[in-house]
Amino acid sequence: MASLLADAFAVEIGAKEPWPDNVSLYQPFEVGQILLPDFAACLGVKTYLSMCGLNYELVFKKNAEHMSPSGKVPFMHIGPFLISEFDPIVAFVNTKGFHLSSHLEETERGEMRAYMSLVDNVLLNAELYLSWCQEDVVTEVSRPRYGSVYPWPLNKVLSWKKYYEERRRLKAMGWAQKTLEEVCEEVKTCCQALSEKLDKNLYFFGDNPSELDALVYGHLYTLLTTVLPVSRFAEIIQEFDNLSQFVSRIDSKYHSKDLQR
Amino acid sequence: MESVQAKQPPTTTPEQQPQKLKPVHRMLLGFTGQEDRKIFNQIPAHVNKVHVDGLEHTKHDIVIKQVKDVLEAQSIGEICVRAHTAQSKLRKLDIFKDIQFFIDTSKGKQSGTNDYEVIFEVEERRLGGGIHGEVGTNDGAVRTAFKFLNLFGRAENVNMEYSYGTKMTSGSLMFSKPLFENPDILFRTGGYQHHGEYPWSGYRTIDRGLLADIQFPSRLGSHTLSCEGVWRELGCMNRTTAFAVREQAGHSLKYALKHIFARDHRDNNILPNKGTLFTCTQELAGVDDKVLGFVKHNMEFQAFKQLPLSTVFQLSLGGGIMKPLQSGTEVSIQDHFFLGGPLTLRGFNINAVGPSSDGNALGANAYWLGGLHLYTPLPFRIGKGGFDDHFRTHMFVNAGSLGNVNFDSNMKEDLQRLAETYRLSYGLGIVVRIGGLARLELNYCVPAQVRQGDSSNVGLQFGIGVTFS
Repeated sequence: MASLLADAFAVEIGAKEPWPDNVSLYQPFEVGQILLPDFAACLGVKTYLSMCGLNYELVFKKNAEHMSPSGKVPFMHIGPFLISEFDPIVAFVNTKGFHLSSHLEETERGEMRAYMSLVDNVLLNAELYLSWCQEDVVTEVSRPRYGSVYPWPLNKVLSWKKYYEERRRLKAMGWAQKTLEEVCEEVKTCCQALSEKLDKNLYFFGDNPSELDALVYGHLYTLLTTVLPVSRFAEIIQEFDNLSQFVSRIDSKYHSKDLQR
Repeated sequence: MESVQAKQPPTTTPEQQPQKLKPVHRMLLGFTGQEDRKIFNQIPAHVNKVHVDGLEHTKHDIVIKQVKDVLEAQSIGEICVRAHTAQSKLRKLDIFKDIQFFIDTSKGKQSGTNDYEVIFEVEERRLGGGIHGEVGTNDGAVRTAFKFLNLFGRAENVNMEYSYGTKMTSGSLMFSKPLFENPDILFRTGGYQHHGEYPWSGYRTIDRGLLADIQFPSRLGSHTLSCEGVWRELGCMNRTTAFAVREQAGHSLKYALKHIFARDHRDNNILPNKGTLFTCTQELAGVDDKVLGFVKHNMEFQAFKQLPLSTVFQLSLGGGIMKPLQSGTEVSIQDHFFLGGPLTLRGFNINAVGPSSDGNALGANAYWLGGLHLYTPLPFRIGKGGFDDHFRTHMFVNAGSLGNVNFDSNMKEDLQRLAETYRLSYGLGIVVRIGGLARLELNYCVPAQVRQGDSSNVGLQFGIGVTFS
């Protein structure tokens, strides 16, 4: 508890300084190592920072996951601070005075949080399910990629260790027991909700992007463009035209160069 | 309990041969007089037989090898000495609970007047173990050991240990066997898991490894050749760990070939009065996918000389250097040298000398350390008898340096800088020997030369440990 207070205090003090030049964002290697859920998380953060117009340096490290103070990627190194994951990074950026959702009303902001929570509960868990509970994907993609940066025998030992850890977590959340059909249903429901909210607008809340746009873009782009033995989710998303258009719109605006996968 | 009587040394007339002398080794050691020993060595004797009673599971060849030298004895004194040596060799096998020997006259038709028999009585044991306390530098541990002994009859032992301490927890399973029936040549293999905390650098590690080694003596000293493979997992202790250490978090693999040479001729390993110690370690290690990662050398020398008025003078020297063999080898902070401590470079906090970042010591790839000590007995008497023997006062001067040497470009300049940026401290204090196990020092230190980044400790410094310099 004491360290949470200390962190909050430290961040408040850091808010007085402007955005420095030497901010780094750490993530695993994109070409051979990173997995589906981590790619979505990193992409969401990168899009958010681009939307705010903030500079950062992208650093690829094979041990980014272990360097991170919370064990999850991406994490940001800014001055003496280390902040990991989407929500804390957004909160930190807000303290520096950069807001994407300042134009929203209280109710709209509440709605935005609800949608973000929906995306986290459904899309993120669906990605984890796909990566670690679908046997084809596990043996052909997840385990080899996770262990690819380590020498033998660590590549085998660590990928199995990660497999058991992720499965245990998903089991505790009740996702490991679901069938692929059930998961697809949940993804479809989530996409339906997002599609209805987006409707014919440019962004989810009017003409300006918000955190929700960055987060949704991260997940949808990942699911649409990653080639996996099981591609059901991509097909589901493509049923919703406005979501696909949303993805390509943000892609061309904020990520003008193609991300190598 | 039998009493040992001091008898008139026996004359050469066999009819007056004394009755069974037992336990003979106690008798021999009881006589410190040179005269007595000379007389014992002059009485001719010949050993007809050597019996070993009490062997059930142990194979005979390994026991015969330890005791057969007794047959060569030429005199009574020599019989005692050789039997005593055989007894310690048997004890070293660690498979007997109790070993006693008796010397008796040889009975039988063929035996002459000077013929003797030596009888060893042993009691085998198949299980062993215990709970011991261990001391590291300013930390302690409790070690529980459980051993299966003499598995196949030739002193093959399986040793399971679990240690729980203030800065580390470890468990190991080792199989050991003497090679060529020689208890001095020991082969060991096994695995271990070790959790360690290193607060001076802000990280903790979990090491899981397999190792195999052979220890053997030579005319100069003892050698150990080992090969080891370790899976290391490094994690940060808390959020304030320096980023330079955080960058090394994660998993890595290290495999190493090590050679350790040790020659310890000191008369005591905690408070020596005379003798020298020399140890030398070479390590060739590979890290992750780089089979030839780095080479590491480490040397330590200590010399003690007794001076008049019961004072002892000590000189210590130590140094080490590490060279990466392939460019781009990332040498982990766990393999670096560290300097500083209450028993080594006094006046500085543990491992707190040298390159550091945000208050965490990073270590470096080269160091040197020297010390001069003068030990004197306590100026006053406390307690009775030999109690004062465990205390000394000492005055010391310690100097050393730790730094990185870049082998590519400026090696000469780096080495020169390593010599020039020396740290120096002096002081005096009390040294206590605790039970033959550990050394306790309470010193008043004056760090005379401190460099940027070091963490020094002016004034009283307390230290307890086993290794010192």
